[in-house]
Amino acid sequence: MDPDQLSRAFVEHYYSAFDANRAGLGILYQDESMLTFEGQKIQGSQNIVAKLTSLPFQQCQHSITTVDCQPSGPAGGMLVFVSGNLQLAGEQHALKFSQGFEVRSD
Amino acid sequence: MVGRAFVDHYYHLFDNERASLPSLYQPTSMLTFEGQKIVGVDDISSKLNQLSFDQCRHVVSTIDSQPSAFTGGVVVFVSGSLQLPGEEHHLRFSQMFHLIPTPQGNFFVQNDIFRLNYG
Repeated sequence: MDPDQLSRAFVEHYYSAFDANRAGLGILYQDESMLTFEGQKIQGSQNIVAKLTSLPFQQCQHSITTVDCQPSGPAGGMLVFVSGNLQLAGEQHALKFSQGFEVRSD
Repeated sequence: MVGRAFVDHYYHLFDNERASLPSLYQPTSMLTFEGQKIVGVDDISSKLNQLSFDQCRHVVSTIDSQPSAFTGGVVVFVSGSLQLPGEEHHLRFSQMFHLIPTPQGNFFVQNDIFRLNYG
């Protein structure tokens, strides 16, 4: 799979998992992983899952507008940059978001 | 701290001295600008100099940084607005940088991804 295909597959997997079963996202993170969510810094798979499963909405739907990726350089891995909309149940207007990932193979 | 200092410097150069921006990139650097992929200092320099506006002002709203997987590297995530002269409405943008330390103790931009945010 070329990097663009790989990054699109990752993005699809990530947001499907997010929208269907947030607790399942834990396997995508490791102890050294970091999430900065709206400015709040969180480290480690358990803490990240705790944050994501405690967000103030039960249901959501991400729809992705753009996905850009680049190899992240000498250490291997890929940078993935996403923009899209987040629709929360009961809300008339979708929220717009951008998200950046550094993805590595384990 | 590194992220904030770098971002201030980057947009200052972009808005005031665009011809000096290429000094922040190296031959391995990559820029994806609105989906277009560009590699290396010369091509990145051409792209930035050929943008369809001579003057602009970046106003940064948020800066988030994290260490990257590369020792000493930093991933910086920026959102803000881009003002063009004569345009009533600002354009909103997001940009992601991956900075890698140089032997001289500075950083260069290994990865740069820029997107306008519409709607």
